[in-house]
Amino acid sequence: MSIAELRSMANARAGRRRTKAERRALTPDNKPALLFLAPFILGAAVLTLGPILMSLYLSFTDFNLLQDPQWVGLDNYARMVGDTRLHQSLMVTLLYVVIGVPLQLGVALGLAILLDKGMRGLPFYRSAFYLPSLLGSSVAIAMLWRLIFGANGLLNALLGAIGIDSTQSWIGSPETSLSTIILLHVWMFGSPMVIFLAGLRQIPAELYEAAATDGAHAWARFRAITLPLLTPIIFFNLVLAVINSFSSFTQAFIVSGGTGGPADSLLFYTLYLYQEGFSSFRMGYASALAWLLLIIIGVLTAINFWLSKFWVHYDD
Amino acid sequence: MTTETPSTRTLITPTGRRGSVEPYRQQSRSRWATALRHALMIVVVVISLYPVLWMLVSSLRPEGEIFGNPSLILTTFEWENYTHGWTALGTPFGTYLLNSGIIVLGSIIGNLFSCSLAAYAFARLRFRFQRPAFAYMLVTLMLPIHVVIVPQYILWAQLGLNDSFWPLIVPKFLATDAFFIFLMVQFIRGLPKELDEAARIDGAGHGRIFFQILLPLMTPALATTTIFTFIWVWNDFFSQLIFLTSPTNYTVPIALRSFIDAQSTSSFGAMFAMSVVSIIPLILIFGFGQKFLIKGIATTGLK
Amino acid sequence: MKRTILRVGAGIVAGTFALGLAGCGLGTGGGSDEPAELTDEDVTLRMYWWGGDARHQRTQEVIDLFEKKYPNITVEGEFSDWTGYWEKLATSTAGKNSPDVIQMDQLYLASYADRGTLVDLTDYDIGTDGMEESVLGMGESDGGLYAIPISTSAMSTIVNTDLLDELGVALPDNTDTWTWEEYQAWAKSVTDAAPSGTYGGSLAQNEFMLQLFARQNGDELFEDGKVAIDEETMTAFFQTALDSTASGASAPASAWSESTSLALDQTPFAVGTVASSFITATQISAFTQASGANLELLPIPTTEGGVDDYDYFKAGMYWSVSSQSEHPAEAALLIDFFLNDPEAVKIIGSERGLPAISTTLDVIGDDLTPEETKAVDYSDSRVPLLGEAPAIVPNGASDVDAVLLRYMQDVLFERTTPADAAAGFIADVQKSIDAAG
Repeated sequence: MSIAELRSMANARAGRRRTKAERRALTPDNKPALLFLAPFILGAAVLTLGPILMSLYLSFTDFNLLQDPQWVGLDNYARMVGDTRLHQSLMVTLLYVVIGVPLQLGVALGLAILLDKGMRGLPFYRSAFYLPSLLGSSVAIAMLWRLIFGANGLLNALLGAIGIDSTQSWIGSPETSLSTIILLHVWMFGSPMVIFLAGLRQIPAELYEAAATDGAHAWARFRAITLPLLTPIIFFNLVLAVINSFSSFTQAFIVSGGTGGPADSLLFYTLYLYQEGFSSFRMGYASALAWLLLIIIGVLTAINFWLSKFWVHYDD
Repeated sequence: MTTETPSTRTLITPTGRRGSVEPYRQQSRSRWATALRHALMIVVVVISLYPVLWMLVSSLRPEGEIFGNPSLILTTFEWENYTHGWTALGTPFGTYLLNSGIIVLGSIIGNLFSCSLAAYAFARLRFRFQRPAFAYMLVTLMLPIHVVIVPQYILWAQLGLNDSFWPLIVPKFLATDAFFIFLMVQFIRGLPKELDEAARIDGAGHGRIFFQILLPLMTPALATTTIFTFIWVWNDFFSQLIFLTSPTNYTVPIALRSFIDAQSTSSFGAMFAMSVVSIIPLILIFGFGQKFLIKGIATTGLK
Repeated sequence: MKRTILRVGAGIVAGTFALGLAGCGLGTGGGSDEPAELTDEDVTLRMYWWGGDARHQRTQEVIDLFEKKYPNITVEGEFSDWTGYWEKLATSTAGKNSPDVIQMDQLYLASYADRGTLVDLTDYDIGTDGMEESVLGMGESDGGLYAIPISTSAMSTIVNTDLLDELGVALPDNTDTWTWEEYQAWAKSVTDAAPSGTYGGSLAQNEFMLQLFARQNGDELFEDGKVAIDEETMTAFFQTALDSTASGASAPASAWSESTSLALDQTPFAVGTVASSFITATQISAFTQASGANLELLPIPTTEGGVDDYDYFKAGMYWSVSSQSEHPAEAALLIDFFLNDPEAVKIIGSERGLPAISTTLDVIGDDLTPEETKAVDYSDSRVPLLGEAPAIVPNGASDVDAVLLRYMQDVLFERTTPADAAAGFIADVQKSIDAAG
């Protein structure tokens, strides 16, 4: 630590404010930083912060793009309370997150553990499993999914091949449509799996050997060593997965043909936002919906972090 | 939770780091277990890849034979779906591939440029508001694009630049992808500061240090950024849907979606064929960049 | 230093704000009430339409002709497909960058007209003789003429006679006056004779059919800018659909729901798994091409004891002039050319539908394909049943088709009763109209 820093610490402890020179000593790179961060600052102001604030303003207006925004105060937010389609979209999205995320992470973790036993051909399996993650968010796969689960689709053909006659349209039925999307999400387990694999690699072998020496069998070793040491990574995957799933759009849009149907069973939150903003041109309301999304994600992430106290073990 | 004190008997067996204590009995059991594991894995692989393989196979079948046919066995190679699909949407599909390519290329260059600069500032410089700025950057990782899309849309509409590539490429040049800034910051933090010191003693300023010393060493992070940017932008549907409205400006995802537009005429075989075409670049990138991809995912996962 | 950073930062944010807000929206364009005059100066017009390739080519040909006739006017043609069309129009209008001549649709006409973005064409010199008064009336909103109809379409029942022959089921004798019940009974007999997965009938599921159904019952869907349909009639509409699905006359709910978002040539009727459907008569060409089968046009079913002259020719699409246009007179001239110039009319033919100006039909009469002739003959047969044109879709109700479909799904999946759905539908559409005004 430099003399300047020591002196600052002493001053701070004594309650004295730092002098300008001391401050400059602590943050000597203001000018170069401005230069290096110029794109970032511009981007933040014009494309992120600015729009966030404008979005907030618009959420208090009625704006149809063709006429000036009209201030309506809390009307949009009041409308949310009684908006049954909004409630439906929240339910659909929540179901997707609550069922899809644990399921996907569970499969990813399970396969990672199996793969981690030093299997031959690991790179092959890893790549093969990763491929769906790579392709899964594309329009091509979403359209494929439509054709797999449609009335004349692949699934019904397979069922027919084993003797079950099915003309049910899985994507056309409100009961089963969401399940097909959840299945698509679970199908993309490769990405979290790779992260789990890397995490498993980091667990020292000696721990297992020691436990094995002391007579612990596989399941006990898993519970006592693997799981606790993996919790930071599970947590990381969980936080990311929740955030990303709430923003999910493409699959629902393509499979439902943009309608959110049948009977709004695929009306994901972002799809509803899109419909309100870019189909019906109710941009004020869409902005309010966007802010609600932001708040929800923020709250969920905060809850995630708070809960992590109870189950995540950091190796400090 | 307490860790067991390591036993003094550490065995290293030929099967790998995790050896077992009783090699003899374990060997026969583990051979059986391994075989079972492999079988299970193969089953999962087949189920997992089956949809994609079916799509590939169907694209080579004549239109009438696609549905009701779940088998993966090809009897003929019909290329007509590809020729038909290439021109099915009015503009040749190559235009859409080109459009996607332009946007992807612009995005990659933009990200490499702006995110590395920002990462250097966060990782190596000390400046006023550094902590809040870094925290802000992390928070934007959580920010769904839907919150900012309406005002951005209006902004670009005012500038008359809707329905062009600008709204999609400019953000990349302005370091809006916090994920890559974060990735590079972590990476730079792992590079020894002595290198900087040595260069500074030789009289180098921040510019020289960054461009001549650090940047060359950051190749893995840059490679990861390139690959991820490619994949994400190539697959990006929402922003492209919002900002691109003329058919000649369409990118691959938007063009594919036109295949199910209720007003037009189309065929499934052609759609499959073009879907396969759209996936090929992803697979190529994956093939070449696998190493960086996997490493990149792993490092970000592990803080 | 830091103060500069703060000031610059605040300035950028404020600037973005201001940029975004200033010039948002439009207000009324133009300014003078007098129709503009033609000038001799060089003028450039932008023209925007939706459609397929055939339409783009033909329209471009007509544009070339126009430019030859009026050398001082250049026309730049822009086009897109239906899905992106309205978004692009909205953003370009919001960005004060709207095209001069716009192809317009009945769903959005009131939305654009009532917000001052279209020019009142009443005093402009666009030849509309030979167009029925009732048809021209469909371009009016709030007392002004904001769009000129290009073409008209009549709603019809289309039947796949090849499929019927295959199944050995004949058409009933009373197709001229068949009721909904009779139609469904016949459709059920087709389903019974057909293999599993093939059905006889289809549902009435869009705004055009709803308008007709309402009028059969002596109601109107919209009136005076409000939803005017009787709740009982609306309930009956949903009930008819429910009966058809439940009885097997048409496909079960899940298969039907999937089919509502398919491309034309993938719809069940086009692939031959449904024997009859409801389409606008001019679509027979597209469906004949897609299905490769012989198709016949028949009247739509009627309501027992209902009104006789319920039918109307819906204006398929219109030409409008943007109020942001700096050359409205030239724009009007272009529209007049498209609608009346003999050569232009020949080139366009019936690609945009059957021309609203009926005298045009004589000009292109010889070039009609057999399918187009069927459509013309069918339309002619409907003339005695025409009533007054209904009110156009009011401002704010542009998504009425989507709302109708949603409530239909609820009814067919038995999540709501037809009565509740009727009340909900009416309330929803009215709310949107109120919010937009």
